[in-house]
Formats: sequence, structure tokens, C-alpha cells
Amino acid sequence: MKILGIGNGAREHAIAEKLCNSKYNPKIYWITDIRNPGLNRICKETNGELLLANTLDAEKVGEIAERLKVDFAFVGPEEPNFYGIPDELERRKIPCIGASKDVAIIEQSKAMMRRLQWEYDLPGKLLFKTFKSSEEAYQVLKNYENTLTWLQNVALKPARQAGGKGVKVVEDRQIYLHEEKSKFKSFHVNWLENYMKSYSDIDDKILVEENVWGPEYTLQCFVDGKTLIPMPMVQDNKNAHDFDIGTETGGMGSIAGPKMFLSFMKEEEFQSSVEIVKGMVKAIQDRSGKKYKGIVAGQMMMTEVEGPTIIEMYSRLGDPEALNVLSMLKSDLVDICYAIIEERLSKIKVEFKEIATVVKAIAPKGYPDFRNLAKNHPVQVDEESIIKNNCKLFWGSCELKDGELLTAGSRLLEILAEGEDMNECSERINKCMSYVKLKDGWGLYYRSDIGSKELLERREKMADRARRLYQYRIEKGILGKRVDWLPKIGKIDPVRVLRDELKGNG
Amino acid sequence: MTGIFGFYPFGEGREKWEASRFIYYGLSAMQGRGQETVSFATIKKGKIEVINRDGLVDEAFKDPLPEGYIGLGQVSAYPKDYLIHVKEPLELVLAGDGKPALHEDKYEAFKLLAEKLAFAIDKNPLEETLKIIEEVKGGYSFIAITEREEMIFGRDLMGVKPLEVGSVGFDLGIVASESCALDVIGAQSSSSVKNGEAIIFDPLSIARKSSTKAKCAYCSFEYVYLARADSIINGIPIYDVRENIGKILAQKNKVKADVIIGIPDTAIPFSLSYSKEANIPAKLGFIRTGRHTRTAIKPTQMERLIGVQLKLNPISSSVDGKDVILIDDSVVRGNTLKNTVWNLKRKGAKRVQVRIGSPLIISHCPFGTEIPQKDELIGRALSKEEIAEIIGADSFEALTPEELSKAIGLDKAKLCMGCFTGEYP
Repeated sequence: MKILGIGNGAREHAIAEKLCNSKYNPKIYWITDIRNPGLNRICKETNGELLLANTLDAEKVGEIAERLKVDFAFVGPEEPNFYGIPDELERRKIPCIGASKDVAIIEQSKAMMRRLQWEYDLPGKLLFKTFKSSEEAYQVLKNYENTLTWLQNVALKPARQAGGKGVKVVEDRQIYLHEEKSKFKSFHVNWLENYMKSYSDIDDKILVEENVWGPEYTLQCFVDGKTLIPMPMVQDNKNAHDFDIGTETGGMGSIAGPKMFLSFMKEEEFQSSVEIVKGMVKAIQDRSGKKYKGIVAGQMMMTEVEGPTIIEMYSRLGDPEALNVLSMLKSDLVDICYAIIEERLSKIKVEFKEIATVVKAIAPKGYPDFRNLAKNHPVQVDEESIIKNNCKLFWGSCELKDGELLTAGSRLLEILAEGEDMNECSERINKCMSYVKLKDGWGLYYRSDIGSKELLERREKMADRARRLYQYRIEKGILGKRVDWLPKIGKIDPVRVLRDELKGNG
Repeated sequence: MTGIFGFYPFGEGREKWEASRFIYYGLSAMQGRGQETVSFATIKKGKIEVINRDGLVDEAFKDPLPEGYIGLGQVSAYPKDYLIHVKEPLELVLAGDGKPALHEDKYEAFKLLAEKLAFAIDKNPLEETLKIIEEVKGGYSFIAITEREEMIFGRDLMGVKPLEVGSVGFDLGIVASESCALDVIGAQSSSSVKNGEAIIFDPLSIARKSSTKAKCAYCSFEYVYLARADSIINGIPIYDVRENIGKILAQKNKVKADVIIGIPDTAIPFSLSYSKEANIPAKLGFIRTGRHTRTAIKPTQMERLIGVQLKLNPISSSVDGKDVILIDDSVVRGNTLKNTVWNLKRKGAKRVQVRIGSPLIISHCPFGTEIPQKDELIGRALSKEEIAEIIGADSFEALTPEELSKAIGLDKAKLCMGCFTGEYP
């Protein structure tokens, strides 16, 4: 059996490892932009091959897959989905685990995802507005800045998936700090407009969403166009640094297990989250007329106003969330892939181990905002000591070049620990991080607090608060209800305003 | 006593933030920790600006505020206790609460600490800072900013003085003596810096390391008196402690009375929970004239007396013709109490029984809290009966150190109770 994977990072390393451990002993082939040492090793060990090529070049990827006569392909990251790699492979009759371009749009365009959600009236929505220019966005924010409407407290985002970059949350609730925060908002919408210039594939540039709070989690699912099978809930940590401080990253580490839902979540919340993701899949299949085959995930939050709520959708496994679920997965991943390809997920059993898993990423200083600083530093890792501590290493943004390992600017590698106790896993990983160094003395950083007892307690407290409030809303029959007030105009229902706007836009 | 505050933005666009207004409100929230001096330091493109002034935050700083995206601030209870500015070999500015055991004088002690830092942190700043924390005994918290645009902060091995760290949005790291300062500027969360922990913010990362030699001895005076009731210190909500104290006071001496009065504001939680436990109504007993100043920490006797006279005007109808239980937060010399009891009686109280929500202060504080000389401490000099007689109360009771440790919920060994017991960690 020959399997071809696509993508460069630690998530792909974890997928490749899971695939190569299959009872079918497949040969693993992988197309990457840079030579990832982990993927390189797995390809070699299974007598497959690592091929360097542009992973966004559908034609090229299609040619390689055809030439190698692979049995199926597995697309790791989101961008190849947006560039139609799964479509091209399908055209060449090569089965593919990967969302086709038309359904992957729910990740590619955050604006489109929200519109779809409102048009199909799915649960777990947020108020939003989209803009084509910073000027337009700034004017609207300015008009509402002194009024009691949701537009005072917002998340400012690029309207397109942009590698987890550019999201800023501005809670503008202290009138005495308003000037500072307002200045920052205006600066950031400008920044977003500039940033979005590098993407020409969607019209919307800036997305403004209502600001919400609550515990975040990712719900990843296998989907075959008919059936959706959820994987254990994972919590990723997006802030770059300890104490939840700092820039948004692709994710600095994640926790999951031992159950299907996180310790601070309830089983019903897991179930209703699954229903929400199912609803999104149905809606996009209906809208596009295409089957959704591969992976779908909701990056979600349990909010006071809506209960389980979608923040963003993924058309692939999360990174680092993939590492948690794949390590917990008991069933053979190749069997699952075939069930997806042959649309018989409903007929198979997918099982997960009941165990706690913690993953942490380590990145060179400079990630995520100043990546040039984070590039081309020689890496030295004592992998043996990591294994001795019963942890697993997955290579991320690292390039094997002329026998030397070099940082490539993003999260260098991720370390996974399994165990009974999350805090112990976290500490074990922290210890292993000391075995990772850059030979030129450039700094690395990771989050020591992910999985710690202290952070878990904080998440639990936040979850309890959000839960009490949304459950009260359910009791009162006001889940999802928002009311604003504008002087001289009076009470307004922002939900109705939004619905009218969406109708107006056709 | 000092309140210290740090503002630090991360990521692209970090230099677009203006730190000053955050410092201003952060310090305003901690004004109770010091009302003599107020200082701001800001960094803009590696250039440090320091402004030291006297008075309260809103008096000393008016628009325009100093510019810069990294900021440090301090309010202090001591005259001339400004931010410490070391220029060589590395330029840094340091704010400190408590006292490192390097000098008798708080300012001088922190100056020596700042100089040590400036010399040591050329390379491996985290390790070197931790080494200094391990070397320098005493009870202190500090925040420093450097010309390299770092923010370096930490607590002594015992964690005597509090220090909290939290976040705002995806950009800001905030450090402050008390969590109320983080709340006021809209921080989402706040965690305690550990005792014996050093933390460094630099433009690209956060690094932290804790000493293996750390053994906590948190200041118990913070819980009864110093900290604001909406703060959480070392994970323990101040308000909960104060409620526990009121309950314990009600349980230990059951006396009959018509009304419970708490004075000053710090003692309101005591009086409310005492009232609930003893089933005696609590009432508002006084209205303040002028702004809230803390009499126990006013530097001169005269100013202290002016503070007392001005701030306490009894509400006659709360006490007229009634047996009153008066709960105060602390007793140092007894002056304030004597005046208060006299005032209540003048307004018609039949009887006044005095309860103190903290143990009696009998000894000095080696960690910088200003406490009068031993021979000025009424709790050390006299018995409870004698104190009652002098202040004109029917009875006088205070919390014991054991009861305070119970109210905080921490073993005595994990607290510094030196001012109440004369035994120091």
C-alpha cells in the first residue's frame, strides 16, 4: 500500500506516524515544501519517499501522485485545500482525505462561514460585520464607539484564514481607557487591510465580530459526506506566552482526555458541539452541492450568550490538536481513511484511549510576528533523552539541509506526553524542552503553564461562570438574544438588524 | 508600603500602544498602598523617561502624560521614595514594594538591588535575576524595565509582598502589586507570581524560573489591612478573609448589642459578617469628609490627627441610644480609636464595645511596612482591659494570630506574622 501525504509540519509528522503504524504497513510518500526531518525519517523507514515540491501547486501534486500510483492521499494543512489539491487528485481518480475547495471555504473565508451560519440559522453564532477597506471599518467602529452596542467590544480579524495571524480582541469597556483602545483599533484595521493585500482569493478583507468570553476548545471530526464521527475535544492555547499573555499564534500547546470531552466541559456540551459542526457540514454541502470528505473541525468557545459557539471552522486537523487525538486514537487510521473514501464511516467503529494527553510547541524567538528573526538557526536536539522521559517529539517548522537542522521560522517542534495526570504530563514536557537548543545561542520559548493544575483550575472557573449564564438564558428562553440601545433611536435588536442586512445583500 | 505596576505590549504593533493612561489607572487602583509619591517611567524606542512626583496620582499627573509603549509606575507611602534609575552599566528603572535586606532604608535597599541587577543581567538575565533573588534576603517584590526593552520582575523567596501578572487581549502583559489594578484596566485574568520566581518579558518572549529554595511566608497584614478588598492575593480573595474574620470575632466573644459599626472602609466586610453571625444589624456608622486617606500610614502625627478628624463623622441615628459594637481593622497607637469612641458617645451611643479585625501589633516590620517604635504600640504596652479603659470602651477584643491564620486559610508557618508575634520567618 502506498499513501501520499501533503504538508510540512508537526501535524503532518503525527499523521504520517499514525499511518505508518497501520497494520497494512504502507509505504509513506510525502510532498513537502521543506525537508521536515520527521517526515523524512518516516518516508525512509517505510521505503517511501519525501518529495520536495510546492504543496499548493495542484497540477504538480496531482502529477506526483499519479506517477507514484498511490492508493490514496492525505492532505494535512488548510492551504492545499483552498488551492484545490483534493479536487485535482479526485479528478485524477486518486482518493483523497481532504476537503475539496468548495467546502473548505468554510475555513478559508471566515466571513463566508458566518454568513452561511446565519443564513441557515444554525446555533452557536456571533454577530459580525465585514468590510472591504479599513476606512469603511473604522468609520463604523467610530460611529458606534460611544454607544451601548456590541460594536464597542470586538474581535478584529482578517476575513480570510491567515495562519492564525492578525486577530486582535479589543474590549473597550473602560471609558477612561477608551482613547488608547480606540487608537489601537484604528491602527489594527489599517494593518489588516495591508495584510489582506497578499490574498486576492476573497473579496471581504476585514471581519469584525462581537467579543465573547468563555473556555475555548477544538472539536475535530472525521466526515465522509454522510456521517460525522467526532474525536475527543481538545483545548489549544493561542496566546504566545505563559499566563495567556501575548500575540495570537497557530497554537502553543494543547490538552485532551482522558474522556471524549475536556474535564471542565460537560457531556451535553460535547454533544451539542458535535451537532453544531454537523450543521455546518450539512449547510456547506447544501450550498456547494459538493460532498464534504475528510476532516472538519470547529474551533469553539462556550459563551455566555450562545452556549457552545463557533469561533472559526477548520477544514483539516488542528496543529497541535492533531497530536492529542491521533495519540488517543486506538483504531487503525488507514481503516478510517478507507471508510471516508468509500463513504461507510457509519459502519465502522472508531475508538479512543481514555488517557490524558498534553502537547507543547517550542518556537524560536521571533515567532509569530517577526519570523525573519526566527529563521535559519541551527538546531540541536537530544531526542534520546526525550524518549527516555516517555515523551514523543514531532518535528514542525524545521528543515533538514545538507545534514544540518535549521529553524524555518514557525513552531520548531512539538512534544507530546500521555499519562494519567495532566499536570505530570505538563511537567514531563517542560523537562524535555531543556533538551532542545539552538546552536547559535538564539532563544527558544514555550509555554510552561499548558496542562498545569493552575491553568486548568482557571479554565474550570471560567467554564463554570459561562455555563451558569448560558444555562440561565436557556431557562429564560433568551439564549442568543442581544439587545442594544441607541440614544434618540431607542432599543435595537442587533440580531434582526444583521438578518436584514444579510437579506439586503442577497 | 508601595504599589507597583508594569505595562508591556507584545507583537507586531506593540509600539502603537500608549502606556501612561494604563499606569495612571493601575496606580489609582492601588493608591491605598501609598499616598506620598507617585512615579511614572516609560520607554519609547529604547529611550527611558522617568518622572517622579509627590502627592496622589490624580494630583501629580495631569494631561499630557508621558509618551511610551512600555511603562512602569509606583505609588509609595514614604516621602521621597521614587523610582530608582540606574544608568550604568545597563540603564534600568526599578519599582519595589517591601524591603530587600540590603539596607535599613527602603529606597537605599532597592537602589542596591537595582544596581545588582544592572551589573548582573548582561547575559542570561533570567538566571542572573533568579540568583539575585536567592541571594538577597528580605521581603520584597520588584518590577524593572531596561534599555533593552525588557521588563524584569519577581518576588523574594518567601513571597512576603504580593505581585500579580495578567493579560489584556492578545497584546498586553500587565504586572501589579494587587489584582484590583489589573481589573481596573480590563485584564482578563490574573495569576500570582510565585515566591522566589523571576519572570522576564522581552519583545519576543516571556521566560520564567522559580527557585527550588523558595519557602513561602506571605505577609498576613496584607490580608487584614493593606490590600483592597476586591483583590486576590496568592490565590486567596481578600474579601473572603475579611468575612471570615468578622465571623470569628462574633463567635469568640458573644456580647449583646443593638448595632454593629465597621470603621474604616476596610472593616465593613468584618462588620457585615459579624452582623450575620451574631444576628445583630450592621449599619453605616460614619461618613467621610474629603478623600480616602489611610491614617495609620500618614507620616506625621499632625497629619494623622487631621486625617482622623476629617474623615470620621458619625451618623447620629445609627448609634443614638444604642449599644454599639465598633469594629476597626487595626490598632497601632490607639489615637484613632480613642477619638472614634468619643465621637460615637457624643452622638448618643450608650455603650461601645471595640473589636479589632486583626491581632494587636506588638513589633516592627523588617519588610518595609511603617510601624511606630515599640514603645508607641498600645497593644504591646497594655492589657486588653487597660486599652478598653484608655479608649473609653466597655470592652476591647482583638483577633489572635492563630485566628488570623485560620481566617486566611493558611498555616501559620506559611505566613509572616512578625508584627503580631515578634517572630519573623
